[in-house]
Amino acid sequence: MSDNGTRPPTEVDLAAAYEESGVRDILRELEDTMIGLGPVKQRIRESAALLLVDQARRQMGLATDTPTLHMSFTGNPGTGKTTVALKMASLLHRLGYVRKGHLVTVTRDDLVGQYIGHTAPKTKEILKKAMGGVLFIDEAYYLYRPENERDYGQEAIEILLQVMENNRDDLVVILAGYGDRMDRFFESNPGFRSRIAHHIEFPDYSDDELLRISEGMLADQNYAFDDEARQTMVEYIAARRTQSHFANARSIRNALDRARLRQANRLFSEAAGPVDATALSTIREADIRASRVFRGGLDTDRPVRRDAAE
Amino acid sequence: MRLRQGQFSFLPDLTDAQIHDQAQYAIDNGWAVSVEYTDDPHPRNTYWEMWGHPMFDNPDAAAVVFEINECRKEHGGKYIRVIAFDSSAGWESIRMSFIVNRPKDEPGFRVVRQEGEGRIIRYTVESYAVREPEGRRYA
Amino acid sequence: MLDQVKTVTDAKKRYSAGVMKYAQMGYWEPDYTPKDTDVIALFRITPQDGVDEVEAAAAVAGESSTATWTVVWTDRLTACEKYRAKAYRVDPVPNSPGEFFAYIAYDLDLFEPGSIANLTASIIGNVFGFKPLKALRLEDMRLPTAYVKTFQGPATGIVVERERLNCYGRPLLGATVKPKLGLSARNYGRVVYEALKGGLDFTKDDENINSQPFMHWRDRFLYCMEAVTRASAATGEVKGTYLNITAGTMEEMYARAEFAKSLGSVIVMIDLVIGYTAIQSMAKWARDNDMILHLHRAGHSTYTRQRSHGVSFRVIAKWMRLAGVDHLHAGTVVGKLEGDPATTKGYYDIFREEYNPMALENGIFFDQDWASLNKMMPVASGGIHAGQMHQLLTYLGEDVVLQFGGGTIGHPHGIEAGATANRVALEAMVYARNAGRDIWNEGPDILRDAAETCTPLKQALEIWKDVTFDYTSTDAPDFAPTPEVSF
Repeated sequence: MSDNGTRPPTEVDLAAAYEESGVRDILRELEDTMIGLGPVKQRIRESAALLLVDQARRQMGLATDTPTLHMSFTGNPGTGKTTVALKMASLLHRLGYVRKGHLVTVTRDDLVGQYIGHTAPKTKEILKKAMGGVLFIDEAYYLYRPENERDYGQEAIEILLQVMENNRDDLVVILAGYGDRMDRFFESNPGFRSRIAHHIEFPDYSDDELLRISEGMLADQNYAFDDEARQTMVEYIAARRTQSHFANARSIRNALDRARLRQANRLFSEAAGPVDATALSTIREADIRASRVFRGGLDTDRPVRRDAAE
Repeated sequence: MRLRQGQFSFLPDLTDAQIHDQAQYAIDNGWAVSVEYTDDPHPRNTYWEMWGHPMFDNPDAAAVVFEINECRKEHGGKYIRVIAFDSSAGWESIRMSFIVNRPKDEPGFRVVRQEGEGRIIRYTVESYAVREPEGRRYA
Repeated sequence: MLDQVKTVTDAKKRYSAGVMKYAQMGYWEPDYTPKDTDVIALFRITPQDGVDEVEAAAAVAGESSTATWTVVWTDRLTACEKYRAKAYRVDPVPNSPGEFFAYIAYDLDLFEPGSIANLTASIIGNVFGFKPLKALRLEDMRLPTAYVKTFQGPATGIVVERERLNCYGRPLLGATVKPKLGLSARNYGRVVYEALKGGLDFTKDDENINSQPFMHWRDRFLYCMEAVTRASAATGEVKGTYLNITAGTMEEMYARAEFAKSLGSVIVMIDLVIGYTAIQSMAKWARDNDMILHLHRAGHSTYTRQRSHGVSFRVIAKWMRLAGVDHLHAGTVVGKLEGDPATTKGYYDIFREEYNPMALENGIFFDQDWASLNKMMPVASGGIHAGQMHQLLTYLGEDVVLQFGGGTIGHPHGIEAGATANRVALEAMVYARNAGRDIWNEGPDILRDAAETCTPLKQALEIWKDVTFDYTSTDAPDFAPTPEVSF
C-alpha cells in the first residue's frame, strides 16, 4: 500500500526532460501544421518551458503546489483557438499536468439549464466529463447576463469557480471569446480573473497567411488553384476582410466550399468529353470570381444553395 | 465492530488518491462507476441509495472522487461505497465494490435466535442501527 | 497403410457372417468432415504391438458406438451408416512413440439429451477394456451447441454466486476444517466460526466427512450454521460453509440438503464419487432451491492422473459444467497437488469462459462454445499459503475460491489470525494489481508492506516463507508452444 518512496534527485537534465516528455514533438507539430500565429506559438513555448521547470522543481522538492493552469484564449473567430486548445491539452498531458489529455468543448447551453435545479447537475456533468483533460468554454461571457438577475448562468459560474480552485489537479479550464468582450467579462467577474494565469491573444491572420491557409486547405482535399485563381483569391481575401461577419480561416474554408460547388457545376456544363484528373482538381478563376464578395458583398458565411448556383 | 463488506475492508481506510486509483482501474476496464450510501449495512441489504446515476462517460476517476466528496457533504455519517458495473455479455453485473466512508461508530449486528423443535434454530441478523428510524441513525 | 484400408461397400460382402476389420466395417472414414452437430472425442490410443493404429482407432470408434466383435445382419435393419462413429484422423503423439491421437465423430442421435450417464456409457464404456489396446485415454471432447443446450448447466454460476454473497472484485477465500476426521460437531463448529470471523468467506467439510460415529451429520449442520450466523453478524458479510450432503442413497442426500436449506445455508457440497446421475439430480435440486452446489472431485485421480490411460480432467470439467455444479476443484499450480501452469489454464478456461478456442499448448483440442451455460467457480486447494498470493492471483485470476486449510488453521496465533492473514494478503494484492503494480515481481514487497499493519500476516509470512512444492507434473501438454507461453 505504501508508495515506493525514492529520494528526490539532486539535479535534473532539462534537455532530457524536454525530449522524453514529447513536448518537442508537439511544439514542432504546432510549428509545422499551423500557419502564422507567431505570438501564440511564442506564448506556448514559454508556457511549456515554465511547466518543465516547475516539474523539475517539484521533483527536487522545491515546489509542491500545482501551478494554476487555467487560461483564456482571446481573439476573433477563425483564428485557431480550438485547434490550439487541442494541442494545449496534449501538451499538458505529456507534461503530466492532466492525466488523460482530452478536450471537452462547450458553450453556455451545455452548462446552463432551463429551470431551477437544472443548472448544477448540468455543469457538474460537464466538469466530470472534462476531468483528466481540458474544458474549453467558447464565448464564455455568455455565462454572465447582468441584465437578468435570476439568470441561471450565475449558478454555473459559481460551480466553475469552485472546481477551478479545488480540483486544480483534475482539469484545466480555457475560457475563449472575442478580446473586448472577454475583458468586460473579467472585469465583472474578478473570481475568474484571479484564477486565470495564462492569457493568450490570437491575432487576425494577415492576407498572406490566409492565402497560404487556403492553399493548405485545398491541398488537404487534393485540389489546387491555377495561377489566375490564386490571384483572384488574393483579391477575394482583401475584399472579404472589409465586409461583415469576417471570420478569418473559417471564412476562407466557407469560400473554398462554395468554390468547389461552382467548380463541379462548371465541369458539368462545360463537359463535352472525358474529364481528366487535372480538370477535376483545379479551381479556376471563374469559380471564385462568381462570389458576391466581388459585388459589394452580401455573402454570409453560410453556404447558401442559391449562392452555389450563381 | 468494523463492517467487512467490499474488496478492501481489511486494509486501512483508503485515501482519496487511493480511491482514485481503484476507480480508474474500473473506468479503464470500461466499467461504469457508481456511488451509493446507506444507513442499514445489513449484508443482504442489496439496494443502497444511489448518489446519482452510474458514471458512464467520465474518462478520469477524479469525477468519482468529486461525487464521493459531494456525497460525504450530505451523508458523511453513513456508509458510502463505490460500485463498478460491467455491461458485457455473460457478466452484466458488478465487478468491484469497496467502502469509501464509514460512520464514526459502527455498532454492528445482533443475532436473534428463534428456537424450534429438534434443536432447529431460525436465525435473524439485524443491524443495531435500524432500531432507530431512517434519518436518525448514526446521528 | 492408411490408404490401403477401404470400407467394404458391397452389402453382400459387408454383412456376410464372420469377423472383419473395424476399419473395413465403416468406422474409419479419413475423408469425413465432422458436422456442427457431431460430438467429437479425441482419444490417446496405445495399440498392442503389431496392431495397426488406424485399425485401433476404428475399433475404438466401433466399440464406443454400434459395433460388436463380429458382423451382425441386424445392422441392415437400421440407418447404420448414420449411427456408426467415424474415426477420421489419426496423428502420432509428439515425442511419444507408440501413442496416437485418434479423432472420432459421433452423430448427435447416438445420445440421450441431458444425460451425462448416457454420454459416458458410450464414450468411456466397454471400449476402455478393449484388448487390442494397451492403453486408452479420453483427452478432450467437442460438445455441439445443440447438445450443450440440453443440459441445465451450473445451478447458480459465478455471477449470481457473487451477487448472492455480495462479494465482488476479489477471489473468494475458503478453508477445509482440519483434522479431516475425528472432531466432534461442537468443536468442528468452533473452527468454522473462528475462520469465518477472521475473514474467510467459506469453510468446507472434507470429502469423507459424512455421518460417522464421532460426528453425525445433523449435529454438524446445526453447529456449523450457528458458527456461520455468528460470523456473519460479527463482520456484516454473507458467510457460508460447504455442508457435505454426500450419503449412501439419493433419499438420504435430499434429506440432508433440505435440512441445510432449512437452516439458511447458502451452499451444499457433494463428492464426485456419488456418480454422474446423482450429481445431475443434486444440480437440479440446487437450481430449484437457490443453493450453490460445491463438488469435491474425490476419486478423480484414479482415472485422470496417468498420461496414457483414463480420462483427462479437462473432459471431467466439461461434463461437470454440463451436469450443473457451481464449484469444482481445479488445481493451484503452486500448491501440493498435481497441475502444471499450461494445463491448469486449460481447465480454468473450460470452467469460466463463454467460448474456448482451440489451444493445444493448454491441452484444448477443439473450439468449444458454451452457449451461455453458467460459469463454474474453480476452487484452488492444497498446500497454498498467504506468501504465494501474488502467484495465485496471477495464475488463477479473480474468479476462483482460494482454499487455505493448513494455511489458516496452522497459523501459530490461531485460526482467526490465520484467516485474517490470508484476507489481508489477498486484499493488498488485488489493491496493488488494480493500482498498476507489477505483482508478479513486486509481490513479496507488497506482502511485506501489508504486513506492517497486520501482525498475523507478518507471522504467516515468516513461518511459511520457504514452503514450495516444486515437482515435475505427470500431466503436461503434449504440444510445447513457441515461444514460451505466458498468461
